[in-house]
Amino acid sequence: MAGRRAAIKAIDWAGFAERVPPNQRAMFNALKTRSDALSARLAALPEKPPTIDWAHYKATVAKAGMVDEFQKKFSALKVPEPVDTQTAKIDAQEREAAKSSAEYVQASKARIAQYEQQLQKLRSMIPFEQMTFEDLHEAFPETRLDKEKYPYWPHRPIADL
Amino acid sequence: MLSRLILRAAPAALRSLPPPVTVGVLHATRPLHTTQRCLGPLPPLPEKGGEVRYGLIPEEFFQFLYPKTGVTGPYMLGTGLLLYFLSKEIYVINHETVAAVCILSVIIYGVKKYGSNVAAFADKLNEEKVAKALAVKNEAIKDLETAIEQEKKEQWRAEGCSFLFDAKRNNVAMLLESSYRERLLMVYNEVKKRLDYQVALQNLKRQKEQDHMIQWVEKNVVQSITPQQQKESIAKCILDLKALSKSAQAAV
Repeated sequence: MAGRRAAIKAIDWAGFAERVPPNQRAMFNALKTRSDALSARLAALPEKPPTIDWAHYKATVAKAGMVDEFQKKFSALKVPEPVDTQTAKIDAQEREAAKSSAEYVQASKARIAQYEQQLQKLRSMIPFEQMTFEDLHEAFPETRLDKEKYPYWPHRPIADL
Repeated sequence: MLSRLILRAAPAALRSLPPPVTVGVLHATRPLHTTQRCLGPLPPLPEKGGEVRYGLIPEEFFQFLYPKTGVTGPYMLGTGLLLYFLSKEIYVINHETVAAVCILSVIIYGVKKYGSNVAAFADKLNEEKVAKALAVKNEAIKDLETAIEQEKKEQWRAEGCSFLFDAKRNNVAMLLESSYRERLLMVYNEVKKRLDYQVALQNLKRQKEQDHMIQWVEKNVVQSITPQQQKESIAKCILDLKALSKSAQAAV
């Protein structure tokens, strides 16, 4: 019989809380309260209901077959377990989320590589005291004056001065 | 000659051309265009120009004549040349000579007195420019480093998404489990209620039967007591009472 007790993993709420970015904190709090409510409800219910004292009833109830009939039917009764419809959906969601987070991590790594490159360039620059204007324009291309677009001094729109 | 003087005086006094030339080490002999075209970065230009004496004559001339004529050689040469120019009237002394002397003395006095101040001021302007550029560069470096850190932190955060799904699955499991337990409990309660009802019903019936029977027996007994029997029983009770009272009086 599968799925009687789907393992309830212990969740490290503190660690989880650390990783939540500030803009999703409200959702996290809602999830936590719901989770806590469910676990409280679960803890309040006993695992097995107390057993019925058949001997006592057999001795007390006068009608002969009634207690026996009840006992037979009771032990034959199988309470149907609630069907688990959501776990499959959750697994699908998890796969999607894993994929998108992997993509995000990739993009993030690419960005980090870019930043590293720029950092390298900045760190290995010659000091400003030894630069000529040509060197400056090579290091910072935005300082280069466009002499084709603005052929007359100061080679840039007056508003930019 | 005047222009040459100014050209010589300018680098020694005023250095205000941006970008500034710095880190002077090379002194007298600078190799210029001695090698093939160099494509790499050139060494930085020297900070000070070649040394000159009296603002006019480079030191190399004195060093050149030193082995042959000693220390006074160039001075002798200079004096001789000067006397030659004057005596042969190659240089004619006229009004402009006097004007030149006055103007030059004023200029030289001005440069000697205020030259260093002006140089310091120009240097300060340069320093500010360089410092601003340096500040921009440092800030850019710092920004990039913080950006890298942020990215790493976000990556770490994204790893935590498994927590979320564990929590969801846990919720689902808890919900299922609790509803199952509720159902069991409900079954038990219902059966127990029914059994208890039967027991209670039975007890009630028996009690009612008992009460009814007692009542019926009492009624019948009361009915069966005839008036004759009643009188006899009353008389007997009175006799018993008298006897009891006698014994009680005796006891007291």
